[in-house]
Amino acid sequence: MSNQRILFQQLFDDNSKRVYHLCYGYTGDSDAANDLMQETFIKVWQHLDTFRNQSQLSTWIYRIAVNTCLSYLRTAKRRATDELNDHIIENHTEEPSEKQEQVALLYQSIAQLEENERIIITMVLDEIPYPEIAEISGISEGNLRVKIHRIKHKLTEIYNRNERV
Amino acid sequence: MKGFEDLQQLWHRQTPEPNVSFDTILKRIKESKGELAKKLFWQSVVVAAAIIVLLLVWVAVSFSTWTTYLALALTMGCICYFFVNQLADYRRISSSHSLLSKPQEYIVYLQEFKQKRNRFNTRNYMAYEIVLAVAFGLYAVEMYFSVPFWAFITFLLVVVCWFLICHFVFMKQYIKQENARIQEMIDNLGRINKQFHES
Repeated sequence: MSNQRILFQQLFDDNSKRVYHLCYGYTGDSDAANDLMQETFIKVWQHLDTFRNQSQLSTWIYRIAVNTCLSYLRTAKRRATDELNDHIIENHTEEPSEKQEQVALLYQSIAQLEENERIIITMVLDEIPYPEIAEISGISEGNLRVKIHRIKHKLTEIYNRNERV
Repeated sequence: MKGFEDLQQLWHRQTPEPNVSFDTILKRIKESKGELAKKLFWQSVVVAAAIIVLLLVWVAVSFSTWTTYLALALTMGCICYFFVNQLADYRRISSSHSLLSKPQEYIVYLQEFKQKRNRFNTRNYMAYEIVLAVAFGLYAVEMYFSVPFWAFITFLLVVVCWFLICHFVFMKQYIKQENARIQEMIDNLGRINKQFHES
């Protein structure tokens, strides 16, 4: 196995789950998330030789994932909708447990945020350090902290409102 | 009533996971390379075949007017220009490093790229239409001298009708749809770009 392939496999194993979460949070659709995750890693492979250690590899991969998600909007008119909840449940089990319903509700709530808020909050939920999120999203750290505070509040409010319905 | 910490805990207990394996990705990488190469190969074959046919006509048939040769040259020029532009676009997409830029810059790149493609697909097609119309007009000079008058008039009527239908029905419809589609994308991208800049 070539060195590039070994490195690529390592990158895939370390980052695929988080990239998938980001894509799922952005699109609100598991199929689209899988497609975007694949597309992201294809681009990672294609650009691997251009990586110059100017940032962490995970940051670099996230940047590609974010840009891939942003380009999703231009090719598809699909939007996350309120039907998402049922869709997620259908995709994963015939009889959803309470926990799965709550996760579905969380994704539904994320889908109600603006696009950049979805991207940022997914990374916050995955516990990516703030300086790394700032680098990925191209927003200054100070500005980002304010944004995160606001998004956390907004998401919690939306989730609790959805839970009451 | 849940707080953000509860949501975070919920997030870490979630089951949705990617169902794409590493091998699938590798397979897709190989396929996508092959697909592009295949697409380019067949486009090249079609363009080459069209040029060869036109060259054969140029050599094998002895036309009586220079206008017909000019018509053939214009048609070949149109085909080559279209093909070179397609090739340049493929190259630009595959070698683009904009994907690694900041999201704000990437959005600007997407907007510009879509606008450029839109110009190519609408304004340039209009130019092809005009050049091809001129080519047919030049060929009509040859027909005027070599076929009966009724055949010449029939040829002219068919060509003019075809161009009018293409221009006023198909082209107008296509440009209208294309502009609306691009405008929606540009608006959406502009909206997202604004989100990244807002404080």
